[in-house]
Amino acid sequence: MYSVLTGETMIYADNAATTKISDKAFEKMLPFLQEQYGNASSQYSLGIKAKRAVEQARKQVAEAIGAQPAEITFTSGGSEANNWVLQGVTKLFKGEDIHIITSSIEHHSVLNVCRALETENIKVTYLPVNKNGLVLVDDVISAVKPNTKFVSIMLANNEIGTIQPIAEIGKYLHGKGILFHTDAVQAVGHIPVDINKLHVDFLSASAHKFNGAKGTGFLYKRASVDLPNLVFGGKQEHGYRAGTENVAGIVAAGYAIEENVKEMRKTAERLQAMVQTTVSEIRERIPDVWINGNAELRLPGTVNLGFNGVSGESLMNILDLKGVCVSTSSACNSVNDEPSHVLLALGLSEEQAKSAIRISYGKYNTIEEAEYIASAICDAYSKIKSAI
Amino acid sequence: MKNDIRCFACGKAHLTKDEVGINKKMLGRDIKQFYCLDCFAEHLDVTTDELLAKIEEFKEQGCTLF
Repeated sequence: MYSVLTGETMIYADNAATTKISDKAFEKMLPFLQEQYGNASSQYSLGIKAKRAVEQARKQVAEAIGAQPAEITFTSGGSEANNWVLQGVTKLFKGEDIHIITSSIEHHSVLNVCRALETENIKVTYLPVNKNGLVLVDDVISAVKPNTKFVSIMLANNEIGTIQPIAEIGKYLHGKGILFHTDAVQAVGHIPVDINKLHVDFLSASAHKFNGAKGTGFLYKRASVDLPNLVFGGKQEHGYRAGTENVAGIVAAGYAIEENVKEMRKTAERLQAMVQTTVSEIRERIPDVWINGNAELRLPGTVNLGFNGVSGESLMNILDLKGVCVSTSSACNSVNDEPSHVLLALGLSEEQAKSAIRISYGKYNTIEEAEYIASAICDAYSKIKSAI
Repeated sequence: MKNDIRCFACGKAHLTKDEVGINKKMLGRDIKQFYCLDCFAEHLDVTTDELLAKIEEFKEQGCTLF
């Protein structure tokens, strides 16, 4: 029996928000917080060992996405990587009248930078998506102008899990003098990601989304492409990002990504089965439930469901009382009760957008938990319906 | 000023702001009828203390319903 007072026993199904660190990653990072606490820039053995561990992680990360180690710069997370690439690329064209393209369903760490860039007279096109949440390649092609210098489209959406046609977009942009970035925070460690197949110049990722630790992410930057420094100071991270490295977090990132890539196929099959179980069991009791986003081109463990006449916030809160963690993007956290910009972009009404919850399974979930969640959602739905 | 909102299960009068707020958080912002804390706990099959703990969490988040 779950108790909200003690927090005992809980089913976590919000892995798109963050994931539990893997046992191996945790075990490997711990020594670098205690006995191996050296600064990776120090010239004695303790520091050299820390530096060696950082470079080992760089290799692990690079190998996971088909890159060279020198093309990986560790950051504090995905938002920092996104901010760096967007602000950095536009600095490359300082004084020029440039145009950039992104989509209307990007993470706020991309959208809010774009809005800030617009105040600096940089023109931004926010591409629409179709009702399934897909950016159309033809829309990208139509949006390109002679002064387009940069395109940033996410690989997989954080709210609906839809996977975008990045490889096709990259293929089109290749050789046109337009730099291409993908925010792959939700994808890396969950679906196959190969920077060469995607034809991207930049790729952002975050370790805590793939069972690493919070506070570590990375930016892949193609070796032939320039980017201004993010932080000035020492020579850490090839001089791009000065400051003492988060050695423990970086080590955890290396092992976590290696482990997830190794287990990817089997994990994806399990996650798909969990999603299928959840959706079909809910549909039996609530026939008019709907899926937001693409039913096929989707992250294996993520599903966004809409419920007629019931708010997602209510469902999430009742599930929380029952020890089930799912997410809604329109929950009131202070005075903000705005519906999700992603769901509105699909063409949903404000009421429909507010009726959604996101379930995102991870590798530590079980099919029994998926069954329990489906049942708990249906019970919560009934309790709400019977009271309103 | 006291409100005239009653619990529609037991009839308890003058529901508190917290009681009204927790109903809205759990059932929807536009609801027209409300439970008192004890009846709401029974309806949701949880304890009153668990609802009180959630109310405190919502307040910590800065939710203006409380």
